[in-house]
Amino acid sequence: MRGCDCCDEPAVARVREPDRHFCATHFTGFFEDRVASTIRNDDMIKPGDRITLALSGGKDSTALLLVLAHLMPAWENVRIVAITIDEGIAGYRDETVRAAVELTADLGIEHHTVTFHDLFGDNLDTLLVGREREACTVCGILRKKALAVAAERYGATKIATGHNLDDEAQSVLMNTLRGDLPRLVRDAAQENTCFIQRIKPLSLTPEKEIAIYLMINNAWKVLPECPYTRFALRAEVRGILSKLEYRHPGTMTNLIETKKKIGRYCAGAQVSEPIRRCRECGDPCSAALCQVCRLRHSLGR
Amino acid sequence: MNIILPDNRGRTIDPGACTIEQVLTELGINPIEVIVSVNGRLVPEDATVSGDDEIRIIRVAHGG
Repeated sequence: MRGCDCCDEPAVARVREPDRHFCATHFTGFFEDRVASTIRNDDMIKPGDRITLALSGGKDSTALLLVLAHLMPAWENVRIVAITIDEGIAGYRDETVRAAVELTADLGIEHHTVTFHDLFGDNLDTLLVGREREACTVCGILRKKALAVAAERYGATKIATGHNLDDEAQSVLMNTLRGDLPRLVRDAAQENTCFIQRIKPLSLTPEKEIAIYLMINNAWKVLPECPYTRFALRAEVRGILSKLEYRHPGTMTNLIETKKKIGRYCAGAQVSEPIRRCRECGDPCSAALCQVCRLRHSLGR
Repeated sequence: MNIILPDNRGRTIDPGACTIEQVLTELGINPIEVIVSVNGRLVPEDATVSGDDEIRIIRVAHGG
């Protein structure tokens, strides 16, 4: 049996970049060190920050909360508030909300749940009747708004999300396929969500390594899959990209690097409309109406 | 060897001694998309398996 590169224990994981074998203890150290260096290199967290962490209860946000809770004592006066957005998706969200409640109770982290019903007057299942194929677009717009509302409500200075390397690479490819240059070059660190900065500490961490981290730390849960996933372009892009990554290791990282390069080339150029205020709700946006207000109109609300 | 697939269906194959990666490839599963335990213990995909080993394959990609 292959051993750990750092000790005599058997390896439980092989990391592809760099190519290393780790036992459970050294994998956990490697994983947490990479998240810590991602945070440090991009100056994501500063003393005094109050971080709203988007905790769906799924694997990525669970891993993010576990790592941040572990790293938090080393930061000066940093607090985390976990927010769960309950979209109202029957047979799916109840279990993940329960997982989020249990995790935050175990870690002693402040936790709040915000529902689509309270914010937008209905749950997602009802809003999507007859337009299920648009589920991810509609949900994404409303979820982003819900998170911004919660972040303001709880006095956040940062919004942390569990997007991983695979998610980020998929987004680069999806935005390229859609020809959406403004979204392609938008830097997460500069992205405005009611002017609260978004941070993605897992953005250099492969999805597979997140699963390994959770499995090693007894935090892996088998949860139901969102019933609307089958309509998403992301599901197709995920399959294509993971095949490419397997055959050509580094593909996902290369996509992220390419996005950064394009962003640098476009720096100072007007690739999207300037940020202004929505004429109906006053939120920052790049058109006369923000996405949420446009969506409300199209839903007849 | 006994294999438990991501959807919990069971399957038995007998390829002789081989790596987890070879088993996954034989099953048409991309190693990037799964983690694997052998006899209840998490292992890297270049670990060797044989005989009566029980291999559990767990899908990591999750829509949600």
